[in-house]
Amino acid sequence: MESLAVVLLAVFSAGYLVLAGADIGVGMLLPWLGRDQRERRLVIASFAPFFLGNEVWLVASAGLVAGAFPGLEHDLLEGLYPLVAVLLIGWVVRDMGLWLRGRVDAVAWRGGCDAAIVAGSWALALAWGSVLGSVLWGGGLNAGSVLGLPLAVVFAWHGAGFARWRLPVGVLAARAGRVRSRYAVSAVVMASAPVVAGVRLPWSEAVAEGAGLTMTAVTTVVVLPLLLGSQALVWWTFRGRVESPSYL
Amino acid sequence: MLARVQFALTAGTHFLFVALTLGLATLVALTQTRATVSGSAVHARMVRFWGQLYVVNYAVGIVTGLVMEFQFGLNWAGMSRVTGGVFGAPLALETIVAFFVESTFLGLWIFGWDRLNRWVHLSLIWVVTLTAYLSAYFVLVANGWLQRPVGFEMVDGTARLTDVGALLGNPTAVLAFFHVLFGGLLTAGFFMAGVSGYHLLRRTAEVEFFRRSMRIGLLTVILSVMPVVMFGGAQFEYVQPTKAGGQEDAQAAVADFTARFGPDEYMPPGLAGVGEGLMMGMWSLMILVACVALVKFPFGKWLVRGRVFHVLMIVAVPLPYVAMVSGWVFREVGRQPWMVYGVLKTRDALSPGVGAGTMTVSFVAFMVLFAVLFAVNAWLLVRFARRGPEGSGLGASAPVEPAAPVMSPTF
Repeated sequence: MESLAVVLLAVFSAGYLVLAGADIGVGMLLPWLGRDQRERRLVIASFAPFFLGNEVWLVASAGLVAGAFPGLEHDLLEGLYPLVAVLLIGWVVRDMGLWLRGRVDAVAWRGGCDAAIVAGSWALALAWGSVLGSVLWGGGLNAGSVLGLPLAVVFAWHGAGFARWRLPVGVLAARAGRVRSRYAVSAVVMASAPVVAGVRLPWSEAVAEGAGLTMTAVTTVVVLPLLLGSQALVWWTFRGRVESPSYL
Repeated sequence: MLARVQFALTAGTHFLFVALTLGLATLVALTQTRATVSGSAVHARMVRFWGQLYVVNYAVGIVTGLVMEFQFGLNWAGMSRVTGGVFGAPLALETIVAFFVESTFLGLWIFGWDRLNRWVHLSLIWVVTLTAYLSAYFVLVANGWLQRPVGFEMVDGTARLTDVGALLGNPTAVLAFFHVLFGGLLTAGFFMAGVSGYHLLRRTAEVEFFRRSMRIGLLTVILSVMPVVMFGGAQFEYVQPTKAGGQEDAQAAVADFTARFGPDEYMPPGLAGVGEGLMMGMWSLMILVACVALVKFPFGKWLVRGRVFHVLMIVAVPLPYVAMVSGWVFREVGRQPWMVYGVLKTRDALSPGVGAGTMTVSFVAFMVLFAVLFAVNAWLLVRFARRGPEGSGLGASAPVEPAAPVMSPTF
């Protein structure tokens, strides 16, 4: 049951980094990919239908940790308190920028939201790089917290690969294409990051005792096809390149 | 102390958003059903208008929830160490079974407007509504366990779940779920009626639109004002003796706790009683408004007139919110000094290792952020509500723009 929970956690956290990693990366590159507010709206539209369904992978990962490895949640988060705080604030700022950008029709408002998206995306990517580095180095704030920071670049690289096949053919796609990137390659890198970082964690010490673990793991396995199906439906509905701005 | 205030403010803010989200999702889903079945244009516009308000509220609600989820790990280490094996399970199911599906389908609903078959689009909002309920249920299972821990045994100082059925069927969870469900409907009903009242009072052009919305709002208020108090009252049977028991029960519980855990202040702070009183007071005001609504309701045309009535409905919008927050204060403060009643004290549930400096900085940062979010949400809701159906961005077909500039002079 314990190994099953570890595998599930690997699936969900890898899912988060592959899927949300791309929209975070696009957010980081927003000022460069979109040179004016109209272009930036199109760039945002490239991941708009997905980002809500992308971040739920992290929420589900955190839920899995809470349900199956309650001790770990506290060890990981408490030791990395400042990093997690930056991560959360970056996440909130970025999401608010995304959600609210299209709600008020004023240049200053959109400019402010764009700034929030870019700053939030960078904060998120840097915080993730640092968190992964710290965990790999042995947990808590350590040399890995600093050495992990450059991992943020991987997010941008991954985002460029995503933008390349989602943005409309022409100036925008060409601009994204200037970065030598391939979504399939960067996705593998992203997916392996949490697996590598998690190898040394003391899973057995942190695992939940009793029926709580079974309930969490078995239910997750049962609903997993449904979750994957709903995500596939989103990708199928919004396949192809974006042509026009969306709700955001 | 800061950790407690931080969690309380986060959860309180989140709860305010959730209340409207739960109720409004239901009303939007019902309206969309009507619009889809009958093909009625006015109902389709109502879906867009109320859906827009729902989405704005949902977006801000989500981020407060995200912060809350991570606070468990950040500040409440003792809690996850001692009771995480039980308390974590319903939270895990909430995120995986409910929230994951809810968010994925909400994305489809928002962005798939005019792109998907209308029956498919309709089924999406129902999935969103039902998983939102499921989400509320699982969160209340977790919370209900704090109020009345069941189905577990303590082994070497940590709680171990032994009876899944007892956990999921805990009356403090099930009854609270229905209480919150009808509370959410009441919030949305008053919200809809208040916004409609504003437009009817101002004699805006959308008389038919807001007359119908007013009817839906009033009907929702009338139908949910009694169940909310029934499910609230039914919980008293299971409420902690120190919170709402008679003098003797409370004394007995205090004596028992003193024997097992040593002397301490086992009676909840007076704030719990204030919460209870305020909640009941708000409910009394709401039932009065509901009576007025009942008189007005059968006469469709009459709803358009009556300025005093319109003002009354506008003024009544905050009532369910105040009731919600004070009811929540009554529930959570009333369980103090316990985190998990009779198992784990709140002060033992805190993370010991977090420095006061770190805590203060994070507290200030999150509170400033939340204050801004709360203000932005309120401002946007008012703005969209005042603008009326024409201002809705949901599903409006995007302006056709050339994908790339025709000519770019610099290259």
